Amino acid sequence: MLGHIIFLGLFFAVLLVISASLALSLFRSVWDFRTRRAETIAWHATFPDLPARERVCRHEFTGEFERRTCGRAFDCRECQTHAALAAKRAPGAAPPAHEADVLGLEFPLDRSYHRGHTWAFPEPDGTVTVGLDALGARLVAEPEAIELPGVGTHLETNGTAWHMHKRGANVRILSPLDGEVVATGGPGDGWYLKVKPDGGKLDDRHLLRGAEIRPWITREMERLQAALAPAGQAVSLADGGVPVDNIAAAYPDADWDAVCAEIFLEA
Amino acid sequence: MLDVETKLMPRGVRRCAPRQFLLWVLPWCALLVFGLYGAGLCLVKGLNQTNMDNRFAFGLWIFLDLTVIALGAGAFFTGFLLYILKKSELKAVINSAVVIGFICYSGAVAALLVDIGQPLRFWFTFWHPNVHSMLTEVTFCITCYLTVLSIEYVPIILKNRKLRQIPSFFVFEFELHKLMPVLAGVGTFLSFFHQGSLGGLYGVLRGRPFAFREGFAIWPSTFFLFILSAAAAGPAFIVITTWLVSKISRKPLVRPEVLRLLGRISGILLLPYILLKCLDTLVWINNTAPARGFAAHEFYARKPFGVWILFAEIVIFGLLPALILLRRRMRESAGWLVFASALVCGGIALNRFVMTVQTLALPTLPFDPFLSYSPSWQEVATFLAVIAYGVLTYSLSFRYLTLFPQEKDLSC
Repeated sequence: MLGHIIFLGLFFAVLLVISASLALSLFRSVWDFRTRRAETIAWHATFPDLPARERVCRHEFTGEFERRTCGRAFDCRECQTHAALAAKRAPGAAPPAHEADVLGLEFPLDRSYHRGHTWAFPEPDGTVTVGLDALGARLVAEPEAIELPGVGTHLETNGTAWHMHKRGANVRILSPLDGEVVATGGPGDGWYLKVKPDGGKLDDRHLLRGAEIRPWITREMERLQAALAPAGQAVSLADGGVPVDNIAAAYPDADWDAVCAEIFLEA
Repeated sequence: MLDVETKLMPRGVRRCAPRQFLLWVLPWCALLVFGLYGAGLCLVKGLNQTNMDNRFAFGLWIFLDLTVIALGAGAFFTGFLLYILKKSELKAVINSAVVIGFICYSGAVAALLVDIGQPLRFWFTFWHPNVHSMLTEVTFCITCYLTVLSIEYVPIILKNRKLRQIPSFFVFEFELHKLMPVLAGVGTFLSFFHQGSLGGLYGVLRGRPFAFREGFAIWPSTFFLFILSAAAAGPAFIVITTWLVSKISRKPLVRPEVLRLLGRISGILLLPYILLKCLDTLVWINNTAPARGFAAHEFYARKPFGVWILFAEIVIFGLLPALILLRRRMRESAGWLVFASALVCGGIALNRFVMTVQTLALPTLPFDPFLSYSPSWQEVATFLAVIAYGVLTYSLSFRYLTLFPQEKDLSC
């Protein structure tokens, strides 16, 4: 009798654990939607699926590490290593120039850049203007459609900011900050969103700026050329020149969905 | 249409053209249909369609079940190493291991359903369990573990490029993935017992002195030997499948270090298994068999089951691959690694064949004849259907899901 009870007890305990695991996952999923964590989760679930070359730590760009993979899904705000290294940097280390010309691409140094190729510029009125950086803009030049969030939409850092359609690719652009959309623009305006940041001020600790821009973009250009290389052929890197304004038009045979996914950090 | 198909595939990896893929799956589909016809005949007309009888009640299907369940052990063991022991290198093969485990277990359950017959009464075993039978434990554990494997398969499917665009799927996948260590723990617990019980099943056959073994408490030695051998064969089978898929698709899928690690794990588990197997065989030769009125050499006196089979099982398919896999220099050669892994998998199949077929073929009473058995075409067809089902499921998973996360990095 005791044997029966132990055997069947173990069996039902196992069934209970399996059912409880499923129920807990379902409950948590519903809770995530209610607490508006879905966007953050989407990014955290995507990040580990990105190839290692896309998850490089920003401190590798500046030579502070020879090789390091980011373990915090590009959210440096909670990274102790980043905090320690940022504190070590001399206060006068910021570059004096107002604009960086990287391989023919203009990167104004008065703003901060997100790894997903958006920039954030704090306006005097407390809002933050968000736009696509020069490389991102040339990749999705003359988009077929743009899906911008409505005014009042709340954005999450690394969550979806807006979508763009280009040559069959539905490109998801990541948000560089947390906040509420107060106005929308478009490619013709030079900016896409104006956002009222959470906490009243842009927290830009996770964004790139100054001396980090040049090595980052240099590496991004290498990744782009690798993504554009025909299948089965070795990558040839350009040794001069500047990117054309509409890169998609110059590569009619390229799988644009794969190219955009590579550069805009989609798995 | 072609564009839609392409958008179902993982980004950043290359797959063959749809036409080529169709040519690959068509023969397997034909085999599956043929096998289902054979299985259907067995289910509709009964087990008289097979060459099994009351004396030879276990045949090709039970051999298939035992082998695929042992080879599918890679799923539980890789999950245990990754989620419980935190061997993060194995992330590179865990998805493939889960799919292989799912295929092996679902294939085994399907074959069992045909073998047992009366499919409409499948629930009897749960409602009227015979708690004195090891088969009941096997049935319970395999059913539970197949449920666990199905749950582990869900996140891999939900990460499909098209499905991940649905936010609710994405969030559910994320939350489910967080509970993987719990499911891996449950899977390990279940696998430990059902692999053991499958071995124990033979060890308790008092009327079959070739299989009967002494043991510890209620468990005969075969209980422990089956667990250890399955744990050793699982990683080796992952090495073989990964290598095969890599060769067929002509792409590097994982870094060589990962396969070497799996090979090493297999070697580390195989050596103690072989030593224990030798010890068990010696005890059986000198004590267990004589105590039941048999000299061990009598079991090997009838062709084709000569002593060669014992030698092959222990030395060629056991000791030899264990030594190869434990030598770093040999492990670093892909050829040796695959050769040794193939020997391990072959050894497991041979062991399960001996336990199933040789056990039942040998006479147990003075007037018993030596039985011979060859499967009917319906049995062979059902066997082939399971193989075809496995190949098709794996092919579709490889084409549309991310089974090898390192593939993207390695393709650049």
